[in-house]
Amino acid sequence: MTNGGQSLQGWGFVTPALLWTIAFFVVPFLVMGAMSLATLEGRTLIWGVSLSNYAEIAEKAYIWRAFLVSLEITLTVTVVSVLLAYPLAWIIAFRVPAEWQRLALLLAVLPFWTSYVVRSYAWLLVLAREGMINQAMLGIGLISEPITLANTRFATVTGFVHFFVMLLTLTIYANLIQLSPNYRRAAMDLGASAFQTFRYVILPLTLPGVVTGAFLTFVLCIGDYVTPQILGGNSELTVPQVIMVQLGRRADFPLASALAIALMAIVTLAYIFSARWLRLDRL
Amino acid sequence: MTRLSALFLTTSALSVSASAVLAEGELNALVWCDHTDPALIEPFEAEHNVKVNLREYEGTGAALALLEQSRPGDWDVLVIDGIDVFRAVEANMLAPLDTSALPMDDFFPEVVMEENNTIDGVTYAVTEKFGYNTISYNSEKVDEADMQSLATVWSEKYSGRISIYDYYLPVMGLAAIAGNVATAEIGSGDLPAIGETLSTLRSRSASVAGVVAAQTALATGEVDIVVGGGEWLTAVLAEEQPELTWTIPEEGAVRWAQSIGVVEGSENPDLAMEFIKYIISAEGQARLATSSCFWGMPANAKAGDVLTDMQKDVLRWDSQPDYLALTQLYPAPDADLDIEMQDLWLETLQQ
Amino acid sequence: MRVLPWLYFVLAFAFIYLPVGTLVLFSFQDGILPVPPFNGPSLRWYSEVAADDDLISALANSLLIATASSAVAVVLGFCAAYGLARHVLPGSVFMRGLLIAPLTVSYLIIGLGLLIVLTRAGLGLSLLTVAIGHVVINLPLAFAIIYASMGAQQQNAERAARDLGAGEAQVVWLVTVPMVLPAIAAAFFLSVTFSWDEFIIAFLLTRFDVTLPVEIWSLLRSGLSPRLNAVGSLVFLVSVTAVILLELFVFRKRRP
Repeated sequence: MTNGGQSLQGWGFVTPALLWTIAFFVVPFLVMGAMSLATLEGRTLIWGVSLSNYAEIAEKAYIWRAFLVSLEITLTVTVVSVLLAYPLAWIIAFRVPAEWQRLALLLAVLPFWTSYVVRSYAWLLVLAREGMINQAMLGIGLISEPITLANTRFATVTGFVHFFVMLLTLTIYANLIQLSPNYRRAAMDLGASAFQTFRYVILPLTLPGVVTGAFLTFVLCIGDYVTPQILGGNSELTVPQVIMVQLGRRADFPLASALAIALMAIVTLAYIFSARWLRLDRL
Repeated sequence: MTRLSALFLTTSALSVSASAVLAEGELNALVWCDHTDPALIEPFEAEHNVKVNLREYEGTGAALALLEQSRPGDWDVLVIDGIDVFRAVEANMLAPLDTSALPMDDFFPEVVMEENNTIDGVTYAVTEKFGYNTISYNSEKVDEADMQSLATVWSEKYSGRISIYDYYLPVMGLAAIAGNVATAEIGSGDLPAIGETLSTLRSRSASVAGVVAAQTALATGEVDIVVGGGEWLTAVLAEEQPELTWTIPEEGAVRWAQSIGVVEGSENPDLAMEFIKYIISAEGQARLATSSCFWGMPANAKAGDVLTDMQKDVLRWDSQPDYLALTQLYPAPDADLDIEMQDLWLETLQQ
Repeated sequence: MRVLPWLYFVLAFAFIYLPVGTLVLFSFQDGILPVPPFNGPSLRWYSEVAADDDLISALANSLLIATASSAVAVVLGFCAAYGLARHVLPGSVFMRGLLIAPLTVSYLIIGLGLLIVLTRAGLGLSLLTVAIGHVVINLPLAFAIIYASMGAQQQNAERAARDLGAGEAQVVWLVTVPMVLPAIAAAFFLSVTFSWDEFIIAFLLTRFDVTLPVEIWSLLRSGLSPRLNAVGSLVFLVSVTAVILLELFVFRKRRP
């Protein structure tokens, strides 16, 4: 169905996007790779092939610990967000009357149109010792004196979970709503309990959507600087925070590049791990 | 093809607006956030009919790297830690400054800081503002007597009620002072002891916080003490919460001072000089001292004629002679020691 | 058992609205402290925000960058989607992968790479460099959304148009674009949203003229004040109005 002229036309359509991606994504990435092998002497950059930056990552405790912290936070956030979002998506898809579903989703998304930076800051106010949560818990007698919530890992995780519950609710809802109601009915007719229907029918069918959402959560969460910087109180540093320290205080581009490449390696591992179920081109 | 031309139009529109930045009658300054207050900058812009472009930076290393990567002439004015002036001069980033046109005689003598601003007999920068990294606290929640000694500030008694200001130099300076090491004398050999003090401090503190986080924490009762705080932290809160105050303990504290100079290769050296004259003038100094970002003492004592009595109270104008005598300058490590200190700092944070 | 899901529903929404509710409430705080007790309503912080030229110009910069970079991303994404969906090209799986790849890379890393390359290439940092970065992050989204919407039904219409003698440009402009317009619109608005709220790339790639998130970040570093709440509430108000108008007048009409 195609001939030479048409294929040339096809290239004409694809080339601009490809060139853009190569010039502003692939090339920077390669340069960053080369940069991670360079070294900094004083403030002079020395190009070469040295693994000293990677060695530094392994040697310095505050750096490799940052990788553990980032992984722990990201995995916690991903799991908690999925566990919280699935029931919400389920309720919206199957309990909320069809004509109200769109409104419910819109309402769920609205708060995320405030500025991202301000939203993190707002959590700091909510979690403060004299903030809403402590005041409410004191009011109903749950605690007798304010507890420290802000400037902790709990605060970072809360800020993240807040954002990703919204994202995952949307993704999972889109998957649930696509399921034909016949699946559920058939399972019920065959005598499956509500739980069995979920476990053996609905869950496997929505798994690709859940995994895709979880993977995106992982990528966005592990690379984020703002939320841990504002909410975490610097009690522990994540990898993006360590990268920004290298840039902001030392202008150590080689080490920052090596950290970025190492972070990429982790995301790639997560990708390989979840590739079976991923549907990135079907967002 | 209409879309391609639309694309072309939008990109060229963007580059036009970007290149307008480099037009004549503009001054490009690399500064700290206190210089971004419109109340400070707008009078100068109006008087000289120019646009002042300001870029904030975080640490001296980053500022020097930024200058190095820029084209010559990109930058006109640099605001830099007084103790780091020599680093900028070594890197050939600052032009000699003609101080004959500046009211140097009106300066508080202690903050002229010739040993920092003048190298081999050539002056490259002048001090514009100074203040202290010391102890800020909530006077209603702590025993004020305890705040008079570093040893009792971070004692077990206040465990969990302390926040540490997130900048390694002043806090490590305080740790050195607590261990009877002069900030100017800090060497590699002192780091283990400083690390131990930091470690103790860290274990008793609730957070390590930037400016707003520290202010929020103090103002909302999250913590009652900020180690590394000072007038610059609590001045803006003083009006509504007078109980938030600061002191200099008997061991002393760390003094910060920022200098301003003309960048080597500036294309507008005259305008840059005019800007420095303005910043150093009594009016400019008063505005800089009470900038919305952070307050601090002006280097030019004549600013006292412009500041209100209340502002001077908050700045503790009358106590300055005592404070100056009691405090030591920021530690000024060379590049290698600097990295060692930063590593130790990050190491301690991650505990 | 019947109450439980609704209880969960209500709690979930309380969680979702907690920060933004606090933000808006204390933007009206009469006093400098954005925490309880609430001292009664005041518009003081809003008037300070309105008088802040830097904030207003940052807002204009953000709007410009969001629309311009999204337009470029959607045009590039549409062309690539059309080329790959309608033409048999060697290595098309690889090309699809390459175009989607930036989606799996953290913004911080994309920004760092661009910072290293652009400054060394002698291209000074400006709004233009931010726009370039935002096209990089939005192109994969635009491509994926539009590519997914290109099914066989349009192909038949395109073939019919070609049989009737339409040139390639006419086919694309008069047949394909109108048919995938919902996807194009969705891609555009999603891109605008991402660009509007993007912080780290804009932070790394700007010099003097900054976008709103970067300006808010420097506010956040420079002193405690409910001005932050007021800015956040204003951004919220503007965005929500835009979303509701879009919902009412654009997306609702499209539904059969």
